[in-house]
Amino acid sequence: MRKRSRTVALTILGAAAFTVAGCREEQVEAQAFPDLASCQAAASDGGLVTAGECDQAFAEAEALHVEAAPRYDSLAVCEEQHGAGNCGSEEEQVSNGGSGGIFMPLLAGYLIGSMLGRAGGGMAASQPMYRNATGGFTNAAGTTNFGSNAGRAQMGAQNFTRPAATAGRAPMTSATAASRGGFGGAGAARGGFGG
Amino acid sequence: MRKITLPERPDLAAKAAEVGFTFAHMHGEPYWDESSAYQFTLAQIEDDLEGPATELHAMTREAVNRIVADPALMDRLGIPQAHQALVADSWARGEPEIYGRMDLAYDGTGPAKLLEYNADTPTSLYESAAFQWQWLEDQMAAGHLPKGADQFNGIHEALVERYRELFPPDTDIHFTAVADNAEDYATVEAMAWAAREAGMGAHYSDLDKLAVSKDGQFLDADDRVIGTLFKLYPWEDLLTDDFARHIAKSGCLFLEPAWKAVVSNKGLLPILWQMFPGHPNLLPAFFADDVADALVAGGQPLPAVAQAFAPVAEQFRAAHVVKPIFSREGAGVVIVEGGEVTDASENHDYDGHARIVQAYHALPEFDGFRPVIGAWIVGSACAGIGIREDRARITQDLSRFKPHFIAE
Repeated sequence: MRKRSRTVALTILGAAAFTVAGCREEQVEAQAFPDLASCQAAASDGGLVTAGECDQAFAEAEALHVEAAPRYDSLAVCEEQHGAGNCGSEEEQVSNGGSGGIFMPLLAGYLIGSMLGRAGGGMAASQPMYRNATGGFTNAAGTTNFGSNAGRAQMGAQNFTRPAATAGRAPMTSATAASRGGFGGAGAARGGFGG
Repeated sequence: MRKITLPERPDLAAKAAEVGFTFAHMHGEPYWDESSAYQFTLAQIEDDLEGPATELHAMTREAVNRIVADPALMDRLGIPQAHQALVADSWARGEPEIYGRMDLAYDGTGPAKLLEYNADTPTSLYESAAFQWQWLEDQMAAGHLPKGADQFNGIHEALVERYRELFPPDTDIHFTAVADNAEDYATVEAMAWAAREAGMGAHYSDLDKLAVSKDGQFLDADDRVIGTLFKLYPWEDLLTDDFARHIAKSGCLFLEPAWKAVVSNKGLLPILWQMFPGHPNLLPAFFADDVADALVAGGQPLPAVAQAFAPVAEQFRAAHVVKPIFSREGAGVVIVEGGEVTDASENHDYDGHARIVQAYHALPEFDGFRPVIGAWIVGSACAGIGIREDRARITQDLSRFKPHFIAE
């Protein structure tokens, strides 16, 4: 049995840098869309993104959906986390050879950040959104909850952290899904997207 | 347990500079010293250090339960009467502890002995949890340590887990320390990294930049309300500051909580000995006032402790250590052998405080240095160790940090 940590935080940034990293976190102008069509409609209307960027962001979010959507070993557990009717099997959602015994939430929207084109270092410019258990929306990592899948807001850059891959790993058991917990706590603090 | 010589990493200086470990040298001496290291067996770690330290923490909690219910004991521990309710309330509310460091005397055999418990503001967290960890990885990669070597150092992971279990995601936690002290700051930032990894918002302000709002809430350097404050600043100092009167009504959760004022306090040691006499990991200890007369030839202890003192009287007369109830880095510590002072700290900052006496237990000696094992408690369990050694019998701030590893 290993007696030491798997990772540690090695770098001492210093007070000035750490405070900036903590409180003055880079803010990202972000916009959410329920689907590609609404993004393109907003683009032609002079929105945050162009039609070409809509395509790029959607492709990226869909790739992340395949790679990093929460995965569950039963439909019931998935629906417990994401609401009835909001889940489907991996086989239905992944084009090349998903399993019929693994369940993922259906893609319910896209979050696009203004860092499009310059995201890197573990960041992704767009993120898939899913229904959560309380009728709102959440990201792939389940770390942030949003009131809506449409609208515009400023948010911390950490919302664009690339989620950990779940594809090809053992399906999550109901115990791990339960330990995710805390849905709703973050949403209130963040204010969410207003219409 | 043995001490072995090892080559230093050739790029040690660059490595320390790169990660911002600016105090690897202090006072013109190496502080981080990897020219040798301590080796333990897994049984020594688990049976002699980890298990006993976890048990000592549980005993400490029992002692706190007794102390906060007894104003006379709080008086003896130097808790100002105006703030005794604050201390007792923080315990009654179950305010959580994050971390602490027990200093243990251990030579590889026999029970480790608790010298004291810095349960409020222990430093050397960064070098224990992070730099020591990197040292092991580097030395294994370089082939200087066997591939299967390990280290008792789950400190960072345990801290992350502790924050996760205590706070909902995205809880904002403020961190504070005295400005411009690299050593204190490193401990605070190591703590803040763990909180951030656990999904918390971590914000730093220098201690002197904190403010109080009209509503009596504490504010950070940017005037944001503080809900939870990790402070690397001892309660005994905090309670004498002007702002102390605002604490109870600030609505701010302090980490470590106020009840740690009676743990990180050498007055805990005689109370532990009274509650658990003869425990193998405790050294006999008494409040100095209770036994002062008995420590000179022909004198008697106070009647209340006479029965407890009798079995250890000879041990105390042979050698004992006098410690102020509040002191850091050996300050104010005096060693008395056969009635003569044979060693004394030159730091007298804490001489105004009440004292305790503890039976003298010699630290082991390895190549002219005497190591003290710092056993890190995270939450309620021991999660790792860091070792400091000193040439002197009283470990002080010139001591060196020594890495360790586990191999059979």
